[in-house]
Amino acid sequence: MYGRKASRLVKELTNVEKGQLTLFNSDLFDQVIAECSQHYVELQSLIRKMQEKGLDVQTSKNEDHYGALIHHLALVRNKRCLMAYLYNRAETLRNLIWKVGLVLPQEVQEKLSHSEEEYFKRHSASLKSYMSRLDLDLVVDMVPPKDPYIQVRVVDNIGEGIVLSDDKTANFAPYSMHFLKRTDAEPFISRGLMEELTG
Amino acid sequence: MANFYDFDDIIAEDEVHTNSPFPLVSVVFQKEANGVGIDPSSETDCVKPGSKVELPFWLASELHLRQVGTMKVPACFNQRTKLELGADATCVDLRSRSPYFYEFGCKIAPLVGDRDLGSFLLSAFKNRYQEVLAKAHNAAFSTASKCSTLLTREETSMYEAAQSSMAAFKKWRVGGPKFQRASILGRKRKPAD
Repeated sequence: MYGRKASRLVKELTNVEKGQLTLFNSDLFDQVIAECSQHYVELQSLIRKMQEKGLDVQTSKNEDHYGALIHHLALVRNKRCLMAYLYNRAETLRNLIWKVGLVLPQEVQEKLSHSEEEYFKRHSASLKSYMSRLDLDLVVDMVPPKDPYIQVRVVDNIGEGIVLSDDKTANFAPYSMHFLKRTDAEPFISRGLMEELTG
Repeated sequence: MANFYDFDDIIAEDEVHTNSPFPLVSVVFQKEANGVGIDPSSETDCVKPGSKVELPFWLASELHLRQVGTMKVPACFNQRTKLELGADATCVDLRSRSPYFYEFGCKIAPLVGDRDLGSFLLSAFKNRYQEVLAKAHNAAFSTASKCSTLLTREETSMYEAAQSSMAAFKKWRVGGPKFQRASILGRKRKPAD
Protein backbone atom coordinates (compact mmCIF):
# COMPACT_ATOMS: atom_id res chain seq x y z
CA MET A 1 0.00 0.00 0.00
CA TYR A 2 1.13 3.52 -0.76
CA GLY A 3 2.51 5.62 2.04
CA ARG A 4 3.16 2.73 4.38
CA LYS A 5 6.87 3.32 4.73
CA ALA A 6 6.29 7.01 5.38
CA SER A 7 3.90 6.29 8.19
CA ARG A 8 6.40 3.84 9.67
CA LEU A 9 8.86 6.73 9.75
CA VAL A 10 6.40 8.95 11.60
CA LYS A 11 5.47 6.18 13.99
CA GLU A 12 9.10 6.00 15.03
CA LEU A 13 8.69 9.50 16.42
CA THR A 14 5.71 8.59 18.54
CA ASN A 15 7.52 5.68 20.13
CA VAL A 16 10.30 7.74 21.67
CA GLU A 17 9.87 9.69 24.84
CA LYS A 18 9.31 13.40 24.44
CA GLY A 19 12.51 15.41 24.24
CA GLN A 20 14.66 12.48 23.18
CA LEU A 21 16.18 11.66 19.84
CA THR A 22 16.64 8.36 18.11
CA LEU A 23 19.13 7.56 15.42
CA PHE A 24 18.23 9.32 12.20
CA ASN A 25 16.67 6.60 10.08
CA SER A 26 18.33 7.55 6.81
CA ASP A 27 17.66 4.13 5.33
CA LEU A 28 13.89 4.39 5.64
CA PHE A 29 14.02 8.08 4.83
CA ASP A 30 15.73 7.36 1.51
CA GLN A 31 13.28 4.58 0.77
CA VAL A 32 10.38 7.02 1.15
CA ILE A 33 12.10 9.47 -1.15
CA ALA A 34 12.61 6.69 -3.67
CA GLU A 35 8.90 5.91 -3.40
CA CYS A 36 8.19 9.57 -4.10
CA SER A 37 10.32 9.52 -7.25
CA GLN A 38 8.53 6.38 -8.35
CA HIS A 39 5.17 8.12 -7.93
CA TYR A 40 6.48 11.06 -9.88
CA VAL A 41 7.62 8.87 -12.78
CA GLU A 42 4.25 7.15 -12.96
CA LEU A 43 2.42 10.46 -12.70
CA GLN A 44 4.44 11.84 -15.57
CA SER A 45 3.82 8.82 -17.77
CA LEU A 46 0.07 9.08 -17.16
CA ILE A 47 0.05 12.75 -18.05
CA ARG A 48 2.08 12.01 -21.18
CA LYS A 49 -0.43 9.35 -22.13
CA MET A 50 -3.21 11.90 -21.89
CA GLN A 51 -1.27 14.35 -24.01
CA GLU A 52 -0.67 11.70 -26.67
CA LYS A 53 -4.39 11.12 -26.89
CA GLY A 54 -4.76 14.82 -27.58
CA LEU A 55 -6.71 15.53 -24.39
CA ASP A 56 -6.56 18.69 -22.35
CA VAL A 57 -4.75 17.75 -19.15
CA GLN A 58 -6.41 20.51 -17.13
CA THR A 59 -10.04 19.67 -17.77
CA SER A 60 -10.54 16.14 -19.06
CA LYS A 61 -11.26 13.58 -16.38
CA ASN A 62 -10.62 10.12 -17.74
CA GLU A 63 -9.13 7.05 -16.09
CA ASP A 64 -5.60 8.34 -16.56
CA HIS A 65 -6.53 11.53 -14.75
CA TYR A 66 -7.75 9.62 -11.71
CA GLY A 67 -4.69 7.40 -11.75
CA ALA A 68 -2.53 10.50 -11.77
CA LEU A 69 -4.63 11.96 -8.96
CA ILE A 70 -3.95 8.96 -6.75
CA HIS A 71 -0.22 9.25 -7.39
CA HIS A 72 -0.40 12.94 -6.61
CA LEU A 73 -2.19 12.32 -3.31
CA ALA A 74 0.35 9.68 -2.34
CA LEU A 75 3.12 12.16 -3.10
CA VAL A 76 1.55 14.82 -0.94
CA ARG A 77 1.08 12.35 1.87
CA ASN A 78 4.68 11.17 1.71
CA LYS A 79 5.85 14.74 1.70
CA ARG A 80 3.86 15.53 4.80
CA CYS A 81 5.32 12.53 6.61
CA LEU A 82 8.88 13.41 5.65
CA MET A 83 8.42 17.04 6.66
CA ALA A 84 6.87 16.08 9.97
CA TYR A 85 9.77 13.74 10.70
CA LEU A 86 12.34 16.46 10.07
CA TYR A 87 10.36 19.22 11.74
CA ASN A 88 9.77 17.36 14.97
CA ARG A 89 13.38 16.26 15.20
CA ALA A 90 14.53 19.83 14.62
CA GLU A 91 12.21 21.02 17.36
CA THR A 92 13.63 18.47 19.79
CA LEU A 93 17.10 19.56 18.80
CA ARG A 94 16.34 23.21 19.45
CA ASN A 95 14.90 22.40 22.86
CA LEU A 96 18.03 20.44 23.66
CA ILE A 97 20.11 23.63 23.63
CA TRP A 98 18.39 24.87 26.76
CA LYS A 99 19.19 21.65 28.56
CA VAL A 100 22.73 20.79 27.53
CA GLY A 101 24.12 24.06 26.27
CA LEU A 102 25.61 25.09 22.98
CA VAL A 103 27.75 22.01 22.42
CA LEU A 104 26.10 18.63 22.02
CA PRO A 105 27.41 15.58 23.82
CA GLN A 106 28.91 12.85 21.66
CA GLU A 107 26.01 10.41 22.15
CA VAL A 108 23.52 12.87 20.75
CA GLN A 109 25.73 13.95 17.90
CA GLU A 110 25.98 10.37 16.65
CA LYS A 111 22.22 10.25 16.22
CA LEU A 112 21.99 13.21 13.90
CA SER A 113 22.11 13.29 10.15
CA HIS A 114 24.63 15.51 8.47
CA SER A 115 22.20 18.34 7.74
CA GLU A 116 20.87 18.24 11.28
CA GLU A 117 24.39 18.71 12.61
CA GLU A 118 24.79 21.69 10.33
CA TYR A 119 21.43 23.04 11.50
CA PHE A 120 22.38 22.74 15.14
CA LYS A 121 25.72 24.40 14.56
CA ARG A 122 24.14 27.39 12.84
CA HIS A 123 21.35 27.63 15.35
CA SER A 124 23.72 27.70 18.28
CA ALA A 125 25.94 30.20 16.44
CA SER A 126 23.07 32.61 15.96
CA LEU A 127 21.99 32.11 19.56
CA LYS A 128 25.54 32.84 20.63
CA SER A 129 25.66 36.08 18.66
CA TYR A 130 22.30 37.09 20.13
CA MET A 131 23.57 36.42 23.64
CA SER A 132 26.73 38.40 23.03
CA ARG A 133 24.63 41.31 21.84
CA LEU A 134 22.49 41.11 24.94
CA ASP A 135 25.57 40.48 27.03
CA LEU A 136 23.66 37.79 28.89
CA ASP A 137 24.15 34.05 29.08
CA LEU A 138 20.74 32.54 28.43
CA VAL A 139 21.65 28.88 28.71
CA VAL A 140 22.54 28.81 32.40
CA ASP A 141 20.44 26.97 34.93
CA MET A 142 17.10 28.56 35.81
CA VAL A 143 17.52 27.82 39.52
CA PRO A 144 20.22 29.93 41.16
CA PRO A 145 22.94 27.82 42.76
CA LYS A 146 23.56 27.84 46.50
CA ASP A 147 27.29 28.19 46.08
CA PRO A 148 29.11 29.81 43.15
CA TYR A 149 31.94 27.27 43.50
CA ILE A 150 31.71 23.52 43.15
CA GLN A 151 33.98 20.56 43.53
CA VAL A 152 34.33 18.50 40.36
CA ARG A 153 36.17 15.46 39.17
CA VAL A 154 37.36 15.12 35.58
CA VAL A 155 36.13 11.84 34.10
CA ASP A 156 37.33 12.10 30.55
CA ASN A 157 40.16 13.55 28.54
CA ILE A 158 39.58 17.26 28.14
CA GLY A 159 42.95 18.54 27.06
CA GLU A 160 45.39 20.95 28.55
CA GLY A 161 45.63 24.67 28.80
CA ILE A 162 41.96 25.54 29.09
CA VAL A 163 41.51 29.16 30.02
CA LEU A 164 39.03 29.83 32.76
CA SER A 165 37.05 32.98 33.31
CA ASP A 166 39.63 34.42 35.69
CA ASP A 167 42.30 34.24 32.96
CA LYS A 168 44.13 31.33 34.50
CA THR A 169 44.79 28.07 32.75
CA ALA A 170 44.07 24.78 34.37
CA ASN A 171 45.33 21.33 33.61
CA PHE A 172 42.38 18.97 33.63
CA ALA A 173 44.09 15.62 33.75
CA PRO A 174 41.68 12.67 33.89
CA TYR A 175 40.46 11.79 37.41
CA SER A 176 41.90 14.93 38.92
CA MET A 177 39.73 16.98 41.23
CA HIS A 178 39.22 20.69 41.01
CA PHE A 179 37.46 23.46 42.83
CA LEU A 180 35.98 25.65 40.12
CA LYS A 181 33.54 28.40 39.48
CA ARG A 182 30.19 26.85 38.66
CA THR A 183 29.92 28.75 35.39
CA ASP A 184 33.29 27.38 34.26
CA ALA A 185 32.44 23.80 35.16
CA GLU A 186 28.88 23.67 33.82
CA PRO A 187 29.65 23.26 30.09
CA PHE A 188 31.97 20.36 30.88
CA ILE A 189 29.43 18.70 33.14
CA SER A 190 26.66 18.95 30.54
CA ARG A 191 28.96 17.33 28.00
CA GLY A 192 29.68 14.53 30.42
CA LEU A 193 33.39 15.32 30.78
CA MET A 194 33.23 16.18 34.47
CA GLU A 195 31.09 15.15 37.37
CA GLU A 196 30.13 17.08 40.43
CA LEU A 197 31.31 15.76 43.76
CA THR A 198 28.60 16.06 46.36
CA GLY A 199 28.51 15.48 50.07
CA MET B 1 -6.33 20.49 8.56
CA ALA B 2 -4.85 20.43 11.98
CA ASN B 3 -1.19 21.17 12.43
CA PHE B 4 0.64 19.99 9.32
CA TYR B 5 3.51 18.59 11.37
CA ASP B 6 1.44 16.98 14.13
CA PHE B 7 2.33 13.31 14.03
CA ASP B 8 -0.70 12.21 16.02
CA ASP B 9 -2.83 13.76 13.33
CA ILE B 10 -0.83 12.01 10.64
CA ILE B 11 -1.18 8.62 12.22
CA ALA B 12 -4.89 9.12 12.87
CA GLU B 13 -5.30 9.30 9.11
CA ASP B 14 -3.28 6.18 8.63
CA GLU B 15 -4.56 2.76 7.80
CA VAL B 16 -3.23 0.54 10.54
CA HIS B 17 -3.74 1.94 14.01
CA THR B 18 -3.42 -1.40 15.67
CA ASN B 19 -2.79 -4.92 14.55
CA SER B 20 -6.43 -5.29 13.71
CA PRO B 21 -7.31 -4.15 10.21
CA PHE B 22 -10.31 -2.14 11.43
CA PRO B 23 -9.63 1.40 10.36
CA LEU B 24 -9.04 0.64 6.74
CA VAL B 25 -11.81 2.43 4.94
CA SER B 26 -13.51 0.64 2.12
CA VAL B 27 -14.12 2.74 -0.94
CA VAL B 28 -16.34 1.80 -3.84
CA PHE B 29 -14.92 3.33 -6.98
CA GLN B 30 -17.26 5.28 -9.24
CA LYS B 31 -14.64 6.08 -11.81
CA GLU B 32 -11.89 4.16 -13.45
CA ALA B 33 -8.33 4.85 -12.45
CA ASN B 34 -5.36 3.75 -14.48
CA GLY B 35 -1.81 2.90 -13.56
CA VAL B 36 -2.16 2.48 -9.81
CA GLY B 37 -1.39 -0.59 -7.74
CA ILE B 38 -3.87 -0.12 -4.92
CA ASP B 39 -6.31 -2.90 -5.69
CA PRO B 40 -4.77 -6.24 -4.70
CA SER B 41 -7.64 -8.22 -6.20
CA SER B 42 -7.12 -6.72 -9.63
CA GLU B 43 -4.65 -8.38 -11.98
CA THR B 44 -3.80 -5.30 -13.97
CA ASP B 45 -2.74 -2.07 -12.35
CA CYS B 46 -6.10 -0.53 -13.00
CA VAL B 47 -9.14 -0.01 -10.79
CA LYS B 48 -12.51 -0.63 -12.43
CA PRO B 49 -15.67 1.27 -11.49
CA GLY B 50 -17.71 -0.58 -8.92
CA SER B 51 -14.79 -2.38 -7.38
CA LYS B 52 -14.37 -2.18 -3.65
CA VAL B 53 -10.89 -1.31 -2.40
CA GLU B 54 -9.62 -1.00 1.15
CA LEU B 55 -7.68 2.25 1.45
CA PRO B 56 -6.10 4.28 4.21
CA PHE B 57 -8.13 7.27 5.27
CA TRP B 58 -5.84 9.96 3.85
CA LEU B 59 -6.41 8.58 0.36
CA ALA B 60 -10.02 7.55 0.83
CA SER B 61 -11.18 10.96 2.05
CA GLU B 62 -9.66 12.83 -0.88
CA LEU B 63 -11.15 10.41 -3.38
CA HIS B 64 -14.49 10.74 -1.66
CA LEU B 65 -14.36 14.54 -1.85
CA ARG B 66 -13.56 14.41 -5.55
CA GLN B 67 -16.35 11.89 -6.11
CA VAL B 68 -14.00 9.30 -7.50
CA GLY B 69 -15.41 6.82 -5.04
CA THR B 70 -17.74 6.65 -2.08
CA MET B 71 -16.55 5.90 1.38
CA LYS B 72 -18.26 3.50 3.75
CA VAL B 73 -18.43 3.98 7.49
CA PRO B 74 -15.52 1.95 8.85
CA ALA B 75 -16.15 -1.08 10.99
CA CYS B 76 -15.09 0.57 14.22
CA PHE B 77 -18.18 2.78 14.09
CA ASN B 78 -20.63 0.01 13.25
CA GLN B 79 -23.93 -0.75 14.86
CA ARG B 80 -22.45 -3.20 17.33
CA THR B 81 -20.04 -0.63 18.73
CA LYS B 82 -22.88 1.84 19.07
CA LEU B 83 -24.99 -0.66 20.98
CA GLU B 84 -22.13 -1.60 23.27
CA LEU B 85 -21.29 2.02 23.98
CA GLY B 86 -24.95 2.75 24.58
CA ALA B 87 -25.25 -0.09 27.08
CA ASP B 88 -22.19 0.64 29.19
CA ALA B 89 -19.75 3.08 27.69
CA THR B 90 -17.04 2.62 30.27
CA CYS B 91 -16.46 -1.09 29.72
CA VAL B 92 -15.98 -1.02 25.99
CA ASP B 93 -12.50 -1.63 24.71
CA LEU B 94 -12.06 1.32 22.35
CA ARG B 95 -8.32 0.91 22.05
CA SER B 96 -8.58 -2.31 20.09
CA ARG B 97 -11.11 -0.65 17.80
CA SER B 98 -8.86 2.31 17.20
CA PRO B 99 -6.45 4.16 19.53
CA TYR B 100 -7.52 7.30 17.68
CA PHE B 101 -11.22 6.54 18.01
CA TYR B 102 -12.38 10.13 18.53
CA GLU B 103 -9.92 11.84 16.20
CA PHE B 104 -10.69 9.36 13.48
CA GLY B 105 -14.42 9.70 14.12
CA CYS B 106 -14.25 13.47 13.91
CA LYS B 107 -12.49 13.26 10.58
CA ILE B 108 -14.89 10.76 9.15
CA ALA B 109 -18.17 12.17 10.48
CA PRO B 110 -18.59 15.05 8.01
CA LEU B 111 -17.76 12.81 5.06
CA VAL B 112 -20.02 9.81 5.43
CA GLY B 113 -23.77 9.83 5.33
CA ASP B 114 -24.20 8.86 8.96
CA ARG B 115 -25.85 11.91 10.51
CA ASP B 116 -25.69 10.97 14.19
CA LEU B 117 -22.08 9.83 14.22
CA GLY B 118 -20.98 13.16 15.70
CA SER B 119 -23.47 13.21 18.53
CA PHE B 120 -22.76 9.55 19.16
CA LEU B 121 -19.05 10.29 19.59
CA LEU B 122 -19.82 13.18 21.92
CA SER B 123 -22.07 11.13 24.17
CA ALA B 124 -19.58 8.27 24.24
CA PHE B 125 -16.82 10.66 25.24
CA LYS B 126 -18.94 12.31 27.92
CA ASN B 127 -19.95 9.02 29.50
CA ARG B 128 -16.43 7.72 29.54
CA TYR B 129 -14.92 11.02 30.68
CA GLN B 130 -16.62 10.85 34.05
CA GLU B 131 -15.49 7.32 34.68
CA VAL B 132 -11.92 7.98 33.57
CA LEU B 133 -11.59 10.91 35.96
CA ALA B 134 -13.13 8.99 38.85
CA LYS B 135 -10.78 6.08 38.28
CA ALA B 136 -7.75 8.30 37.92
CA HIS B 137 -8.45 9.89 41.28
CA ASN B 138 -9.45 6.87 43.27
CA ALA B 139 -8.30 3.57 41.81
CA ALA B 140 -5.34 1.74 43.25
CA PHE B 141 -2.42 1.09 40.98
CA SER B 142 -3.19 -2.58 40.34
CA THR B 143 -6.74 -2.02 39.15
CA ALA B 144 -5.74 1.08 37.23
CA SER B 145 -3.50 -0.84 34.86
CA LYS B 146 -6.38 -3.15 34.04
CA CYS B 147 -8.80 -0.47 32.95
CA SER B 148 -6.21 1.67 31.20
CA THR B 149 -5.89 -0.95 28.48
CA LEU B 150 -9.39 -0.02 27.33
CA LEU B 151 -8.66 3.64 26.79
CA THR B 152 -7.87 5.41 23.56
CA ARG B 153 -4.80 7.57 23.24
CA GLU B 154 -6.61 10.74 24.09
CA GLU B 155 -8.23 9.18 27.13
CA THR B 156 -4.90 7.85 28.33
CA SER B 157 -3.34 11.30 28.28
CA MET B 158 -6.41 12.64 30.09
CA TYR B 159 -6.06 9.89 32.68
CA GLU B 160 -2.42 10.74 33.26
CA ALA B 161 -3.22 14.45 33.50
CA ALA B 162 -5.89 13.73 36.11
CA GLN B 163 -3.48 11.60 38.13
CA SER B 164 -0.69 14.15 38.08
CA SER B 165 -3.04 16.96 39.07
CA MET B 166 -4.34 14.84 41.95
CA ALA B 167 -0.77 14.13 43.07
CA ALA B 168 0.04 17.84 42.86
CA PHE B 169 -3.05 18.66 44.91
CA LYS B 170 -2.09 16.17 47.62
CA LYS B 171 1.41 17.55 47.73
CA TRP B 172 0.07 21.05 48.06
CA ARG B 173 -2.26 20.05 50.89
CA VAL B 174 0.49 18.37 52.88
CA GLY B 175 2.53 21.46 52.38
CA GLY B 176 5.48 22.01 50.12
CA PRO B 177 8.77 23.48 51.18
CA LYS B 178 8.14 25.67 54.17
CA PHE B 179 9.91 28.87 54.95
CA GLN B 180 12.53 28.48 57.63
CA ARG B 181 12.46 30.91 60.42
CA ALA B 182 15.75 32.69 60.76
CA SER B 183 17.32 31.87 64.09
CA ILE B 184 17.71 35.49 64.99
CA LEU B 185 13.94 36.01 64.88
CA GLY B 186 13.31 33.37 67.53
CA ARG B 187 15.24 35.16 70.20
CA LYS B 188 13.53 37.30 72.67
CA ARG B 189 14.02 40.92 72.18
CA LYS B 190 16.44 42.51 74.54
CA PRO B 191 14.80 44.90 76.91
CA ALA B 192 15.46 48.36 75.77
CA ASP B 193 17.65 50.39 77.98
